[in-house]
Amino acid sequence: MADGIELARAASVAALATEGVHSMGRGRYVEPATYEGSEKVSGVVVGPEDLQIHIVARYPLPRPIPEIAESIRERVAPEAGGRKTTVVVDDLEVADDESL
Amino acid sequence: MRVFNRVFMILLLAGLFVLGVYMIVYAFDLFGSKLASLPITDFGKGVENFVAGAENGSLSAKTIIILILLAILGLIWFIAELKPTAPRRVRMGSGTYVTRTVVEDEVSTVAEQVPDVLGSSVDVKARRSPGAQVDLEARVRRGEDLNTIKSGLKSTVQEHLSEKGLPVSKLNVKLVEADPRQTKTRVQ
Repeated sequence: MADGIELARAASVAALATEGVHSMGRGRYVEPATYEGSEKVSGVVVGPEDLQIHIVARYPLPRPIPEIAESIRERVAPEAGGRKTTVVVDDLEVADDESL
Repeated sequence: MRVFNRVFMILLLAGLFVLGVYMIVYAFDLFGSKLASLPITDFGKGVENFVAGAENGSLSAKTIIILILLAILGLIWFIAELKPTAPRRVRMGSGTYVTRTVVEDEVSTVAEQVPDVLGSSVDVKARRSPGAQVDLEARVRRGEDLNTIKSGLKSTVQEHLSEKGLPVSKLNVKLVEADPRQTKTRVQ
């Protein structure tokens, strides 16, 4: 079970490896991130009892957003240590080859 | 409401601060200012008369109406304060949220793929319960069958959003007849 920045790093890696995730979310007004020392992991906020993962989804979506969120949750669960994991889709990123 | 309260409290506290400074200056006779020289005698008498009138039950109808209006205003303000603020993000299920712009982009993209729609504007409101309230305004040519377009557009948007897993608790579609020269797309 990871904690603090390690958990944030693991969550970020797990989220980015999930199909349908383009990048980590940067928030709108405040950047969600976890800091420790000189290190910063964007898009993940680790709390004592919860874990918030902000993502930017790839568009067109390869599968419904709840499924993407569930996959992320499953990947993160072993490291999360029972924390309630919340997935927030901050934005959609249109793929370069799509003429949308 | 939060912004209004903040502005109100700033003005109130600023006013109290200014009054406090004046009170100290006049109470301690600083800078040649004396409490007795303040023109508050008439004001004090007015307050006295008002309180006496309220005790005797002899207030004028105009005063009673103003007091009732103030009480109603206070009640409305109190109820508005009790009402919780709308969440910023759209709740999808347990532990999954999307920002309103994501839903807006998705609805707008789908709406503008419908052949009769020349342009659209979307407003999404998040709710405390899962799902968003979507207000979609679509611009169409004059003389089209609005009812058919409206129902088609509504079902297309609902179908697409449910495919993507974006829950919509209420979808309001409004069609506006527009000049194609002034819309985003002239021909679909």
